[in-house]
Amino acid sequence: MNANELVANVSGLVTLPDVYLRISRLLDDPDAGSDEIARAIAQDPAFTLRLLKVANSVLYRLPSAVGTVSRAVSVIGTSQVRNLALSMSVAKSFAGLPNTLVSMENFWRHSLLCALIARLLARQARRCDPDAVFTAGLLHDIGELVIFNRCPEQARQALSSVIDNDDELPVFAAEREALGFDHAAVGGALARQWNLPPLLEECIAFHHDIAGATLHPREVAIVHIANSLAEMAEIGTLDPADVAPIDPLAWERTGLEDDCIEPAVAEARAAVDDLQKLFTEAP
Amino acid sequence: MSAVLPRPGAALPPPLPGFEHVRRLWNARHGFFAARILPGEYYVTRGEEGISTTLGSCISACIRDSEKGIGGMNHFMLPAGSGDPGAYKAAGLGAATRYGNYAMEHLINEIMKNGGRRENLEVKVFGGGRILEKMTDVGLRNIAFVRDYLAAEGLAVVAEDLGDIFPRQVIYFPASGRAKVKRLRSLHNNLIADVEMHYGESLAEKPVSGDIELF
Repeated sequence: MNANELVANVSGLVTLPDVYLRISRLLDDPDAGSDEIARAIAQDPAFTLRLLKVANSVLYRLPSAVGTVSRAVSVIGTSQVRNLALSMSVAKSFAGLPNTLVSMENFWRHSLLCALIARLLARQARRCDPDAVFTAGLLHDIGELVIFNRCPEQARQALSSVIDNDDELPVFAAEREALGFDHAAVGGALARQWNLPPLLEECIAFHHDIAGATLHPREVAIVHIANSLAEMAEIGTLDPADVAPIDPLAWERTGLEDDCIEPAVAEARAAVDDLQKLFTEAP
Repeated sequence: MSAVLPRPGAALPPPLPGFEHVRRLWNARHGFFAARILPGEYYVTRGEEGISTTLGSCISACIRDSEKGIGGMNHFMLPAGSGDPGAYKAAGLGAATRYGNYAMEHLINEIMKNGGRRENLEVKVFGGGRILEKMTDVGLRNIAFVRDYLAAEGLAVVAEDLGDIFPRQVIYFPASGRAKVKRLRSLHNNLIADVEMHYGESLAEKPVSGDIELF
């Protein structure tokens, strides 16, 4: 079994809902106007409600409340609406792929922390789209959920060897040993199957192995740094030695320096609780 | 993965009698051998080696004679029961605390048996995390127990990292007294909770009266 075969196995179980596909198609259509996009969104009441909540959340800090879909679309921007539709679709879709190893709350908390931090870092690094790396951060570990559901025994074995190993064996390395591939490869294969934008595919597939990125090396490097910082936020530390090591190449590629760590970790910790509700609770 | 050969000079110290069964692995990061203990186990050494374990809601006491460098670590929890942190007392000291007392006494007695002196004992305690949101806070109960035990024995705690929501990986070096605690990501919570729950259930099933070997 390889990563592609594993993903082919779940293709009927995790699908991208119509709302994402509709919005995506409209955004790729040069003739479609923003009112058409707003109409497409309004057909899905659950997504409409979430979109309004996101528009009014800490992510945007707008001076006045956003009450309509068309206003939300113009505030958030059409490309970020697509990103959000994707993020929420995936969160919803994967609720149908349960596992016994990690709770969905804990899984999405790490993903959201990574997304928030990636967005902050992209603003500092410039020449990076903060909204795109937010989505990349949110989806970076998605292969984990496939592995946990389809290969629970090997996944358990991999996590056990991480806990058992005082030399700090990374999870992806333990997965490669137990399965022959890791969650990044599975996530990358899933992104390909879903025809996600190449930026997302690369960020997901190479967040542990950033030298492999060819099309979007800066964005991949940002998600790589954000992943380690998200772990810091999760366990309440500011010492990079406590979490997955950051590849020096990531600092080089982004031009960021380690003084960005403390404010990014603090800001993500402050925002994550509110946002988590938007992504993991029923609307 | 950790099949790294020891550096010249780093010999595996002979285990003390009774601890031959404990698995010891070379730890490249710390440059020591480390004995790995599981829930319900303990390990005492007078050599240059570490002792490591992974804690969820369980507690590890790390105790040594600070002059002689003889010391060890245990890993225990109170059996499942009422969730109130103080309830183990109300339930009667016999039943619930028996396992905690047993773990603490065995560790301390073994240190003394190998030459440690009570007045030199230095204590560090770790664990008691609340790693499953939906469960009653068994970590707090374990913390309350170990604090009460140490206070009753007149043993001061020189360092601790207790409670909160994280699992922990602890490595302790009795020769120097150094303890390194690494908090683990929530990704590992369920697995650690499974191991502890299994251990907790095995305690609950064991009779608490008579001179029975409890571990």
